Amino acid sequence: MNRPRPLDILFRGLIWAAGIVGMALPVWIVGFLLVRGAGRLTWSFLVDHPRGYPPGTEGGILPAILGSAALILVGLVIAIPLGVGGGLYLAEFCPSKRLQSYARAAVEALAGVPSILYGLFGFACFVVFLRMGISLLAGGLVLGLVMLPILLITSQEAFAAVAAQYREATLSLGTDRSAWIFWVLLPKARVRILAGLVLAVGHAVGSAAPVLFTASVYFRRGGLHLDQPVMTLPTHLYFLVSEAISFDHAFTTALVLVLGLAIFNGAAMALRHQMRDS
Amino acid sequence: MVLFLLKETGLFQGLLPTRDLLQVAAPWSPLATPPSFGLGHAWVGSFLVTGISLALAVPLGIGIGIFAAEIAPPPVARILQPALELLAGIPAVVYGFFGYVTFVKWYADWSGQPTGESLLAAGVVLAIMILPFIASTSAEALRTVYQDYREAALGLGVTEGCLFRRIVLIKALPGLAAAVALGLARALGETLAVLMLSGNTAAMPEGPLSRGQPLTALLATELGETAAGSPKYRMLFSAACLLLLAVLALNMGILALKRRFFEHLHE
Repeated sequence: MNRPRPLDILFRGLIWAAGIVGMALPVWIVGFLLVRGAGRLTWSFLVDHPRGYPPGTEGGILPAILGSAALILVGLVIAIPLGVGGGLYLAEFCPSKRLQSYARAAVEALAGVPSILYGLFGFACFVVFLRMGISLLAGGLVLGLVMLPILLITSQEAFAAVAAQYREATLSLGTDRSAWIFWVLLPKARVRILAGLVLAVGHAVGSAAPVLFTASVYFRRGGLHLDQPVMTLPTHLYFLVSEAISFDHAFTTALVLVLGLAIFNGAAMALRHQMRDS
Repeated sequence: MVLFLLKETGLFQGLLPTRDLLQVAAPWSPLATPPSFGLGHAWVGSFLVTGISLALAVPLGIGIGIFAAEIAPPPVARILQPALELLAGIPAVVYGFFGYVTFVKWYADWSGQPTGESLLAAGVVLAIMILPFIASTSAEALRTVYQDYREAALGLGVTEGCLFRRIVLIKALPGLAAAVALGLARALGETLAVLMLSGNTAAMPEGPLSRGQPLTALLATELGETAAGSPKYRMLFSAACLLLLAVLALNMGILALKRRFFEHLHE
């Protein structure tokens, strides 16, 4: 039997250290936010408006939560039909393998574009060129574009993963293509698409760069309107910190954002497990 | 989308500020007369921050990749996976805030300056942000290679260490390079964290500990107060297009590397 050499032992030690750092980092970050922010996390923080002067030093973050949710909803109106439809086209109707691989590469490249560039594009195209102004509609459209490539990729994979014998069995029963798509393909792929959707939404909720110039303002009273700007959670946190308004509130806002996303992503993981079982 | 960004640079009106784009030494002072739009400081800032983050995250990330692929006992691996996913799911603005109340504060206390923002702080936080991506991509590459070669190599009486150095590392090289390129692309385009941590000062940085303004921070700062169609606006969109080109080129590189990896694996 070979005796392990000292260099190998050193190497093993270093790798263990790297692994332990990898596990400790998220614990450190989330723990830090919990310790500093959990004290303020009360029900009224979630359902109250920012108060005090400047606004944000007291009160809660309700309008930011609502604004983020509204932006996502507007974005989903664009992203779901285009994303699932595009995935369906690529998986089912695409005439050539070549076109499929080019389209796939283009979508993957789009998914890798930095979010600040989505923001710039949204500012130039929606806010200025289409005269939407800084508004819920413009920001929602930008977030729709941010979510689109993730949703398209995951739904294409979901459709492709539906086994071929279902297709043969269904078509051999003499059904037409639309029946195959609506009664077999979509229900079979539903869970995977849903997991992709959760992933896309989780990514979009936390990104501040795309909405910074297209939808968000520091403080706003009144309800949500498509043609009016909104407050959002990530930009609220950004303004609280960069204008040095309230670090206590920033801690709690960050905690709300991280915990919300962790719950969301946990749901996605549970879905994936369910998928593996079925 | 690419076309629209290009249009905003004024390319089609023949107004592309090529001369300014190439003036790396000129200062960024849009309010001077005549205004000057040198982007040199922003590029230097971006490359410094990205370089620092890669220098930290690549060894650590690949180390975590090796750990996850090979060394970690299954129960530990089951903890590591969601831990990395949690790290990847934390939004950039939260990282920015976290860096602001830790590294920036420590440096301010230690150096006695009123504020502690520096390119180094931005680089360190950026390293934490890209770590999960590098780790999971390299773990995947290593795992694939191990599956294919482990039993054959160990059957020949090769030691674990030799197997790793002589076979796995070499076969997984394109996959590891793809992991690094992915980290690079993410680091180059990251905005909120560097905006909050780098100090956002439009001057040529003197070193990693000085304040600076990476390109994405410049874009985020200036766009809000720029008149559409003005020379400054065109300049910002030109810079955005260069950034887009750089990231797209990196993505193409990642795809090519991944293809190489799978061909390389089975020859």
